Amino acid sequence: MGEDKVLIVVPAYNEQDNILKVIKEIKEDLPDYFNLMVINDCSTDKTKEILEKNKIPHLNNIFNMKYAMSVQTGIKYANINNYDFVILMDADGQHIAKEALKLYQQIKKSHEDIIIGSRYLKDFGYPCPKLRRLGTKIFEILINLLCHQKIVDPLSGFQCINKKVIQEYAKKNGYPEYPDANLIISMLFKGFKIKEIPVKMRIRETGISMHAGIKEPLKYMINMIYTILVIVIQNIGKKKINYLK
Amino acid sequence: MKKIYFIVLTLLIGLYIINDVRRNRFSIKESIYWIFGVGIMLFLAVFPQCIDGIATFLGISYPPSLLFVICIIFLILINFRNSKKIVILQEEVIELEQNITILKGNKK
Repeated sequence: MGEDKVLIVVPAYNEQDNILKVIKEIKEDLPDYFNLMVINDCSTDKTKEILEKNKIPHLNNIFNMKYAMSVQTGIKYANINNYDFVILMDADGQHIAKEALKLYQQIKKSHEDIIIGSRYLKDFGYPCPKLRRLGTKIFEILINLLCHQKIVDPLSGFQCINKKVIQEYAKKNGYPEYPDANLIISMLFKGFKIKEIPVKMRIRETGISMHAGIKEPLKYMINMIYTILVIVIQNIGKKKINYLK
Repeated sequence: MKKIYFIVLTLLIGLYIINDVRRNRFSIKESIYWIFGVGIMLFLAVFPQCIDGIATFLGISYPPSLLFVICIIFLILINFRNSKKIVILQEEVIELEQNITILKGNKK
């Protein structure tokens, strides 16, 4: 099991309060052959200094690329350096390092391409804003309708992907701006296998979430539904082939 | 007299575009569409009666509205083309940024 090259990608934007805790946890709870790469997305606070001072491997984006493109930078790094698996984790401390090991063990055990850490699959008492839960529910239904698969937490950024998926994501335009339900649907259409496993998650301690406010979630919702519509149109012809398999 | 006024105006717009191209402030490739537009404008300024002719042919009762329709279609097309180009540029910038970031990181 030890010969796999595993990279943990942690995109960070203004996470000076959380980043050290997250990294400490990763180093303590995960095996040594798990490499870490923090993508500092042009943070305006002391994130960069903290990373440099503590000699944590990191890449510095030249400009603010937003979450998804930072993740893609990490995936491209993994692709260039020939990693077998990538684990995506957030830098805000929501994702627990120990649970990442579960994702990795699951992907090793099964023949799935993407393992999603889901916070709703089993009730660990994760408190969630009602609006967000509603949004998640809508996407769950959409995925079920289109792909006949139940993905309870499509908004989860806590994932483990294998080499095939790394290569797919590393392509130009291979990773959308909002990589959630639309990405899952498009990957399912392409014939990749996705599985969810229940994980524990923490609540954000400090800092501001990307999905805060009213305007942004609304914009997000409209954007997402439109994107899914386009993906469906793109796959009208191809979809049948996947069903036949 | 009105005719000369419009001809001069059109020529000035044409000169403005050509001058920018001459000084390398605007690309030759892009300017072709605008010069083409100026050409049509000039033609209509010299022979304004064609508008009436085309309008009657198309069954448009108020000829100047034909002019607006042509202009708006032209502008929408150019705008959509620009929008597409911006998207392509954005994607290329992202690609470049990511590659530079990774290269810089690998060098360290």
